Amino acid sequence: MSALYRRPSARFALVVLAGVGFLAAFGPLIAPQDPLAQHMGELLRGPSPRHWLGTDQLGRDVFSRLVAGSTISVLAALQSVLIGLTLGVLPGLLSVFLGRAFEWLSLRLIDALITLPFLVFAIAMTALLGNGLVQAMFAVGLLITPAFYRVSRAAALSVANAPYVEAARLMGATSFAVIAWHAWRKVLPALAVTTAAMTGACLAIVASLTFLGIGVVPPAPTWGGELASELKTLYDRPFGPVAPAFLIIATVWALNALADAMRDPPGVKP
Amino acid sequence: MSMNPPATLAISHIAAAIPSAPAIPSASEQKGSVRVVLGWLLSTLAIILPVFLLSTLVTFLLGAASGLNPAAGMAGDSATPQLIAQINADFGLDQPVLRQYFTWIGGIFQGDLGRSWFNRVPVTELIGQRLAVSASVAGVALLLGIVFGTAFGIIAALTQGRWPDRAITGVASIVSSLPPFVIAILLIMLFSLWLRWLPSAGYVSPAVNFRLWLALIAMPSIALSVDVIADIARQLRTGLVATLSENYVTGAIVRGLSWRRIIFVHVLRNGAGPALTLLGMKIPTLIGGAVVTETVFTMPGLGMLSADSALRGDVPIVQGALVVCIVFVLTVNLFINILQGTLQPASRRR
Amino acid sequence: MIVQEGARVITSSAIPLLAVEDLRIGSPAGSIVQGVSFSLRRGESLGIVGESGSGKSLTCRAILGALPPALRVMGGSIRYKGAELVGLDRRSWMPLRSKSISAIFQDPGSYLNPSIPVGRQLAEALRVTLRLPRTEAYRRSLDLFRKMGLRDEEAIYRQYPYQLSGGMLQRVLIAIAVCAGPELLIADEATTALDVTVQAEVLDLLAELRNEQGLSLILVSHDLAVVAQMCSQILVFRHGVIVEAGPAQPVLNDPQHDYTRSLLRNHAQFVIDRVPARRRITDHATKPPSSPGVANLAGPLLRLRGVDVTLGAGRESRPVLQSVDLTVGQGETVAVIGETGSGKTTLLRAILGVAPLQQGSIFFDGAEIAGLRGRPLREFRRTGRIQYVFQDPLQSLDPDLPVGRSIAEGLFIRGNTDLASNMARVEAVLAAVGLDPMLRERLPRELSGGQRQRVVIARALILDPALLLLDEPVSSLDAASRTQILQLLSSLSRERGIAQILISHDLGSVAGLADRVAVLYRGRIVESGATSDLLQHPRHAYTRLLIGSAPTLADGAADKLERYKLRAALAVADKI
Repeated sequence: MSALYRRPSARFALVVLAGVGFLAAFGPLIAPQDPLAQHMGELLRGPSPRHWLGTDQLGRDVFSRLVAGSTISVLAALQSVLIGLTLGVLPGLLSVFLGRAFEWLSLRLIDALITLPFLVFAIAMTALLGNGLVQAMFAVGLLITPAFYRVSRAAALSVANAPYVEAARLMGATSFAVIAWHAWRKVLPALAVTTAAMTGACLAIVASLTFLGIGVVPPAPTWGGELASELKTLYDRPFGPVAPAFLIIATVWALNALADAMRDPPGVKP
Repeated sequence: MSMNPPATLAISHIAAAIPSAPAIPSASEQKGSVRVVLGWLLSTLAIILPVFLLSTLVTFLLGAASGLNPAAGMAGDSATPQLIAQINADFGLDQPVLRQYFTWIGGIFQGDLGRSWFNRVPVTELIGQRLAVSASVAGVALLLGIVFGTAFGIIAALTQGRWPDRAITGVASIVSSLPPFVIAILLIMLFSLWLRWLPSAGYVSPAVNFRLWLALIAMPSIALSVDVIADIARQLRTGLVATLSENYVTGAIVRGLSWRRIIFVHVLRNGAGPALTLLGMKIPTLIGGAVVTETVFTMPGLGMLSADSALRGDVPIVQGALVVCIVFVLTVNLFINILQGTLQPASRRR
Repeated sequence: MIVQEGARVITSSAIPLLAVEDLRIGSPAGSIVQGVSFSLRRGESLGIVGESGSGKSLTCRAILGALPPALRVMGGSIRYKGAELVGLDRRSWMPLRSKSISAIFQDPGSYLNPSIPVGRQLAEALRVTLRLPRTEAYRRSLDLFRKMGLRDEEAIYRQYPYQLSGGMLQRVLIAIAVCAGPELLIADEATTALDVTVQAEVLDLLAELRNEQGLSLILVSHDLAVVAQMCSQILVFRHGVIVEAGPAQPVLNDPQHDYTRSLLRNHAQFVIDRVPARRRITDHATKPPSSPGVANLAGPLLRLRGVDVTLGAGRESRPVLQSVDLTVGQGETVAVIGETGSGKTTLLRAILGVAPLQQGSIFFDGAEIAGLRGRPLREFRRTGRIQYVFQDPLQSLDPDLPVGRSIAEGLFIRGNTDLASNMARVEAVLAAVGLDPMLRERLPRELSGGQRQRVVIARALILDPALLLLDEPVSSLDAASRTQILQLLSSLSRERGIAQILISHDLGSVAGLADRVAVLYRGRIVESGATSDLLQHPRHAYTRLLIGSAPTLADGAADKLERYKLRAALAVADKI
């Protein structure tokens, strides 16, 4: 972990993430104005001392909406990652040790999940099962399961065939004990990398979904939803999309940079 | 939208893209070579078929689990229970779920994807009309992705450590965090609003007006391809850098082969493996991303059709669209596996 | 000046083929090689010896114009037929490569593209350097393969590198290297990884090329005997400088520099002479042979009887070991010598219970252990009476664990979880193998090859075994480390009475250690007996071939004719 702090990009990423985390945790509390309040006399205004990013077509303070929306967007992404982790890691590990049948079946199931076109399926699942963010996040979580499966499987495979595992077995250890002791230290770093990267990906997907109007229960603000509404009012507020886009891009980049930093061994140039 | 992170751990360790290709015996072991190739074909099918069935099953169950039925849409408020039951029976919805699935699958193999619940138009017809749009955008995006991704990957690998490499890797890492629709919006802001070079909505067939077609699909394809270019460039760079440090590159240099020959005949062949695998995994992402770009650019494509139908509850269309995507993904991955087996025969043996 | 090479006498010309003067190789950070000067004439062969890291390979790379990107020639000159090579750009190198200067390396398979059939790579070299059309290149490739001694050249043309053995791959590389008719061939540890019989044949091939085509050779090797056999001149490298140079035989018989002397001391533990009457073992640091009576008194520690092992399933099954009988007495050291594919690793795996027996039995301390499975097997393994030392220490240690924890693994498995007492024992055993006890906190990759080898021996030792199984314990080490490990093993046997089975493909390196030697050929023990007996009076044709193929400092390996006779005898014996 300490190696992480040495890389400038990682340090910067952590700062960004700390900021986002803060927003997500306290967003609704620190928003200067009520994100739902409509100021009918001030529609589609530009930035001003009272409304730092101006107002949208219903007179709502854009800055407050973005800050408040952080919670929903970030939480949704974390939810999906959690589902993916839960569904993917254990089968991935077990696929190496439970025998051919389980391996074959789980591999084919994972292949099937990968084959499904991501966004289309997420939309379909969300729309058909009731248009809520929870359904959307479950769909997304399901579809990122293969990433976690593959990473834990790869780590387990590398351990299972390693000579040092055989050395331990030759000294009388049970397969289970050996694997458990040696494998988790290889799996955890890989999982950390994947989790960071997947969180970034999920955030982007949440943004896409809410952009399309899926999983959004108006008038609740989300980053993607704000981006969509800014797109609609592009001619009146030509720089409108910049703020929500920036939030999305910065957070996703920070998560990916973190993942990269964790992946490369210390001292290796990116 | 980068669903697949730069974490190359999983990619480089696992065997192949889906479907995972079985081993092909080497040339010397092929005594009855026709029989062997047939064997390989059969084992490949043995993988593709279950995957196809599983993914279509999931797709079908999605519709079944939704609890929606055509009667609600077609009959409206004045429906009597008998009318509802009759409409449902019409669509075969009174059968047990599994039997419905098999009927549906059987229909697929004959090219019949069912009918829309709303207007009874065959799904194949509806999809066919939109396919050209999505195919254009996704196809051009794929082409751009491969061409530029490969070019940047090679440049980065050859200039390792120097500024072109750093620039490419740095830009790629930033760019792969950008969801396609964000890029799409930025492109619109730049090229439509500010420069006024390109139109921002609609679609024409290339047969009707080639230049307009090009102008209309330019931004959506670019938006979709950026993610692919970035990821392929990075993955290829990693693979090539590793290959360049192999002994046989030194051997080739000492033998007097030209750099051009070394790169294109020897290094690319062995270093492109992980990048090819990645390409296979990005295809579904590409298709998914098309949904968003179609919305942003208001294009009547498959993605919009699926989204609209999903929101309306028109299940057969959604299922049909998903099946088309699944078939496309599996076909492309099959080609990629064959390509990998041809380039690197040594990887074919278990 | 007249130089005698083989059967021909070559008069030197005025300009040497290669002249290296005050060569300095390094980077802005510092020099790695410096002050290197030597020259080579046409048809001459020069041997370069020294340990790994001494700069011999870098010098060759500099001559080839193929230094790694981080290093450069910082000073001095390399002249080929009068033309300066240092500073040549890529384009100017083209006409020289392959047509004038060529090279072959260690691990030949890794120098070929794994995805293209080997024949096509040779044809490619022909097309590029000689601009031959495709059909001509194909024909010439087959021709060259034949000349290099590869039979069935049409089938080999289509093979991929992974399908060929080390010896065949080296012949392929030699074919590629000489296909354009170069005048200078550099062979950098070209035979190091090969079995001794294969090595003899490859060296023969090189000698033939030298004698009949006037090819000049630079032979780099850590094996002094190989250099003695092949080269008329010798350079001794150490830490990037030449410490001694001159004609080969005088330098090796009467070295002036201390380092050369220490190299000779660390060379093979015994000297074999081709002439049977003169054959003897020179023990440098070995134990006195244990008297047979002691061993028999306690009964054999390990006994294999009629062991058959078949690997693979169904149609692909092949017998790996057949009717193997082997006995190891208490405290005895037995060397099992076998080349690639002889089944030697399988033998150890059978003893360990990893490879199942088709037939036969294995008795340890009187009890049958061959059929043990599951819990009884685990319990037996936990007693630690038989311990295994892997061939590759780097891979057999968990790369993320400090070596101390790896060493203690056996203790933890046994159930002793007290960290403090375990670590105390780790430190004790590290001292016993001659390492600083504080090394226990290091990671495997921070240690040298020799240190790692000691660590894995320590891991085996900590469980107080009665029998150690060592798989090629010194093959990957350089000469100095080799001597140290062999001395360690010798002391383990002497002071602790631990019995050992040493598997090796190189008779020379382990014979000084062994009480008895068993020769494994194609899955069968073809001969076994006390070491000195076996060496002085080998009975089986294969043993004779082994001994005859090993190069010696005095006379080189048995010449080609004699080895041909030995091979013929072996073929006859095979049919019996």
